[in-house]
Amino acid sequence: MLKAMIKRALKKDDETVLITKTLSRLEQKETASKSRGNLVEDEALDWLKPRALLKPDDQEDVPEADLEEEVGRVLTTINPQWVADEVAYHYGQGRFLRKARPTFGKAYPLYVYQGTAIRKDSEEAKAQIAAGYGMVGFDDAGPKRAKVKKSKAEEEEEEEPEPDTQPAEEAKPEEDAADEERPKEQVDEQEVVQPEVADEETEAVADEGGEEAATEEKEEGEAQVEEKIEIKPRVKKLANQFNFCERAALTYTFPRRSVDTQTIPPPRANYGATGLQCIIFDYYQEDYAKKQREKEEEKPKRLRKKAAKHAKSAQQIHDEQLAQRIREAWTILERLVNQNIYDDIAQDYRYWDDPSDEFREGMGSLLPLWKFQFEPMRNHAVCEVQWNPHYQDLFAVAYGSLDFTQQQKEGCLCLYSIKNPAFPEYSVITDSPIICLDVYKETPYLVCVGRYDGNVCVYNAQLTLESSYQYKSDSVRDKHSNIVWEIRWGARLIDGEASFFSISGDGRVVQWAVMPGELQATTIITLHSSVAPIPGPDGTLLTVNSCGSCICFHPEKPDIFMVGTEDGMIHTCSLKYNRNYVRSVQGHHMPVYRIHYNYFNNSIYASCSGDWRVKIWEDGRDEPLFMFELGSPVGDVKWAPYSSTVFAACTADGKVYVYDLNVNKYRPICVQAIVSKKTKKLTRIDFNRQLPIVVCGDTKGTCHVVKLSPNLRVMCKPPKKAQGIDQRSLQIMKLDKLLSLVRDPPFQTGVVDEKFDDD
Amino acid sequence: MAEEGAATGGAVAEKVVHTYPLIRHTDMSEEMRIEAVELSVTACEKFSQNNEMAARMVKESMDKKFGPAFHVVVGESYGFEITYECTTICYMYFGGNQAICIWKCS
Repeated sequence: MLKAMIKRALKKDDETVLITKTLSRLEQKETASKSRGNLVEDEALDWLKPRALLKPDDQEDVPEADLEEEVGRVLTTINPQWVADEVAYHYGQGRFLRKARPTFGKAYPLYVYQGTAIRKDSEEAKAQIAAGYGMVGFDDAGPKRAKVKKSKAEEEEEEEPEPDTQPAEEAKPEEDAADEERPKEQVDEQEVVQPEVADEETEAVADEGGEEAATEEKEEGEAQVEEKIEIKPRVKKLANQFNFCERAALTYTFPRRSVDTQTIPPPRANYGATGLQCIIFDYYQEDYAKKQREKEEEKPKRLRKKAAKHAKSAQQIHDEQLAQRIREAWTILERLVNQNIYDDIAQDYRYWDDPSDEFREGMGSLLPLWKFQFEPMRNHAVCEVQWNPHYQDLFAVAYGSLDFTQQQKEGCLCLYSIKNPAFPEYSVITDSPIICLDVYKETPYLVCVGRYDGNVCVYNAQLTLESSYQYKSDSVRDKHSNIVWEIRWGARLIDGEASFFSISGDGRVVQWAVMPGELQATTIITLHSSVAPIPGPDGTLLTVNSCGSCICFHPEKPDIFMVGTEDGMIHTCSLKYNRNYVRSVQGHHMPVYRIHYNYFNNSIYASCSGDWRVKIWEDGRDEPLFMFELGSPVGDVKWAPYSSTVFAACTADGKVYVYDLNVNKYRPICVQAIVSKKTKKLTRIDFNRQLPIVVCGDTKGTCHVVKLSPNLRVMCKPPKKAQGIDQRSLQIMKLDKLLSLVRDPPFQTGVVDEKFDDD
Repeated sequence: MAEEGAATGGAVAEKVVHTYPLIRHTDMSEEMRIEAVELSVTACEKFSQNNEMAARMVKESMDKKFGPAFHVVVGESYGFEITYECTTICYMYFGGNQAICIWKCS
């Protein structure tokens, strides 16, 4: 209470700091007052006021003792100003009445607020709780109106009973009077609440306000003390239009806004036309005419082209015809000149037979005839030479190089005729040396060639030289990865396309089908070798193929072919098996250069190799029937087309060996040096099919044509018993007889060698 | 007589009836143009006696394929002056006597 009062008093000064200070001090010392001197000397307040207090001049002197004296102050709720005997005139009663004694002093209500709160522990509250209101909450079910008349002070006091409870205890001893007042206040409260509970009739009177109402309430309150206790439990009122309560909450309304965009309207245009039958018709006519015109325009283009071409070609034809005639004339002239120059050779070729043969029984000689050279190919080697199967005077030459450390950059395919030794009939320079060739028997102007770079080509000798090759293998997709060593035309395919086979150093035998415009490759067999796979640089195993060096087809069985390899093996293979060999023979110890079947016996074949040897084999035998050592690498071996027992071989030392097994099984019947062995080597040899001449090529680009002396081309004389037998049968018989001689004693290794050595 | 016959014969030979679709004016894209021409041909062949139905068919098909709102006029003689969205007009003749105008304007 005291604190509250001080607070209120100090509030007026608006010195909040001081308030707190003072309050704390009060609480500490529990003394209501302090001397001024103390206050001045108080260190906590020395910043507040100057030490030397200013005194007004006319201030009364008060002795120090008086100032020091403590004056006790007692605050009570009793208004000391209150007049006990105050009376007021009551107009209603017409007399003076004594005013009721207010417990709280002389106060006049300025504002009345009818509170609805009652103390919970009051009698009334207990009654109400008993009546069931407590559960609902007093605010909801409580009396609508309560008449309370209080002075301001009373209200304040009512507001602060709870916060005051603690300080009140401290203040109690000093405030005896306040203590005494408490019960009274409670009574007052009861009185105040009373009317609302009791009856609402009094409200009208109370509303008028004033002290009279207060007094009336007082009186009535005193009068209705008994009634108060008899409060009936109130039933909760039903809500109606007068007493219902409406509650509402307003949520936050979000502000709205509008956002608009406007796109650019799509572009528009105007169009107008008139569709009438006449217009439609006209337009159709126009369009049709235009189309016709276009057609006509197109046509003349083609026609013009054709015409132009034709006109041009007419000129060309004329030119060509002229050129052709001139060429023919020149050819004739050239031949005439050549004939004159080489007249003696021609005479020799035609008529010269070595007369010494008659005296040399069983021995023959070779007569050198023409030498064919092509000036640009002077340093090239003749890698293949082959007589044309159709024209007996024509042979094809492949110019390449066998010196692989100094390989030539270009090669040449030439067709020579013995009628014109000076210059080839046909020659085409290629960008890679040509290693092998083969002339197609069916169309003798088609020549397939195998090149050093692994490509194969087909040349058509009928075409002009500008067109170069007619077919060429795709250098990227399916060419050989090594030198193509031999190439052979094969049988036609089922579809009728010509095909040829090539064998290469990469160990593959590839069949090339001559399709229109392209060559189609099929790998027939990959030559596997007995060498174990070699670990590559990155750990993978590389299988090693054996390098093929020559290929030879069986004359009668088109799917059987023989393959010679660089390690000396001769494999018999079939087109039907692409993994396995039919047979395998260790034929030589060096690369096999040629395998050649006998023209009369399909089971006999000859092979030659770099190991100086020529061997004659029979199919199915692992050992050769004959073996000849020629003292130098044998470049080529060929059976003679006219005799079943004659074959010729050329060696690197420039010699040509001619054997006739019928005459001598151990020694050649002719050995003749064709070229100087110091500068040249013989590479290839070929018998002319019809004429008794042989062509052999050397490493300096020269082809030597030699004539066989009569002893080398001895024909069989039919026995007297059977005169009608033709030459071929006789030849076969001759060979069979010879073979039976060799076969009959069981063939043993070394026999031939011994005999050869013995000789 | 003979002359006349020959003349008429010549005239008959001269008279060629064109029925193929012939585009008179268009700024459509290739795809749309082909579609429009095909549709028009189909519709006009299907409803050879009923231009209204043909036009409706073309219009509805075009609406489905290229979005609304297409306008189609099929008729033998008419004049028009229209505003169209660019790249959507096709004015063509078909069957030798029909003019078909397709355009879009929404």
